[in-house]
Amino acid sequence: MKLARRTRPEPSETIIALIDVVFFLLVFFMLIGRMDATAPFDVAPPEALTGTDMPAGGITLAVSPEGALALDGVEIAREALGDTLQRWLDKDADLRLRVNAHRDAELRHVLPLVGMAEAMGVPDVVLVVTPPGSE
Amino acid sequence: MASLSLKRPTRPRALISLVPMIDVMLILLVFFMVTSTYLNLDMIPAARRGDADTAPQSSGDSAGSAGTVLIRLGADGVPVSRGRALSATELDQMLRTRLAEEPLTQVLLLPSGAARTQSLVSVMDIATRAGAVRLRVVRLEARP
Repeated sequence: MKLARRTRPEPSETIIALIDVVFFLLVFFMLIGRMDATAPFDVAPPEALTGTDMPAGGITLAVSPEGALALDGVEIAREALGDTLQRWLDKDADLRLRVNAHRDAELRHVLPLVGMAEAMGVPDVVLVVTPPGSE
Repeated sequence: MASLSLKRPTRPRALISLVPMIDVMLILLVFFMVTSTYLNLDMIPAARRGDADTAPQSSGDSAGSAGTVLIRLGADGVPVSRGRALSATELDQMLRTRLAEEPLTQVLLLPSGAARTQSLVSVMDIATRAGAVRLRVVRLEARP
C-alpha cells in the first residue's frame, strides 16, 4: 500500500508583509526605548528647558519625594550609599552618576548626595530633567 | 489535433523556514516593548571633574574680578537677590543686565534645604537662558 505524502500548503504571500511589520516595530522600539532600571518608587524629574541629551552609561540614583534612595532600581539606605559608590568607582574611574530626583524632593535630600559624590571623586554627576510637557 | 498545455512554473520551496524567525522576532519585539522606558529624559551637569580647578581661588584673579551675583533660594522656592524677592521675569532681567555688562559674572545659588528640586532647576534654567556660563550651587554645611 502506498501512502501518499500530504502536501503542505504553500505559505501565502502575506507572511512577508507580517515579517516586514514586525521587523519595523522591533527596530522602532529598540531605537526609542531606554533600558534603564526603574526605581521602586515613582519619580517625576524636574522640568527644564536647557537640558541636554543624556548620554548612555553610568548608574542612576533615584530620590523619592520623601528622600528614599534607589541605586539602579534597588532601594538603598543612605548610610550604605558611600560604600556602594566606592565599589562602583573602583570598577570604573570614569563613572557617571545620574541623580534622578523627584521634582518635589527637598534639596536637603538631594544636594548632600551630589556633594558626597563629588567629594568621593565621581568625575561626572548630572541631574536628570525632562523637557516641559513631555509627560 | 495538437493540444497546447501551459505548465505553471513551480516555485522552489524556501530552504529555511520563516516560522522560527517570526517567532524569535515576536519574542524580541515583546521583550523590548515591555522592558524599555519611553520617558524623554535630559540632563544638566551638577558636578564635573575640573570644575573645582576653574573656580576662582582668590578675588585677585581675572575670573574673580568679573563679579558675582548671589541668589538665595528660599524654602518657598522664591529667589532672593540683595534682600529682594524676585519673580522669574525680574530674575531673568536682572541676570541679563549683569551679564551684558560682564559676561563672565559668576552666578552663585544658595538654596534652602527645604526648597524643592524643581525650584532650583527652574532658577538654573533661567540663569542658563540668560547666558550665565559660570553657575555654581553652594550649600552650607554644619561644622562637624
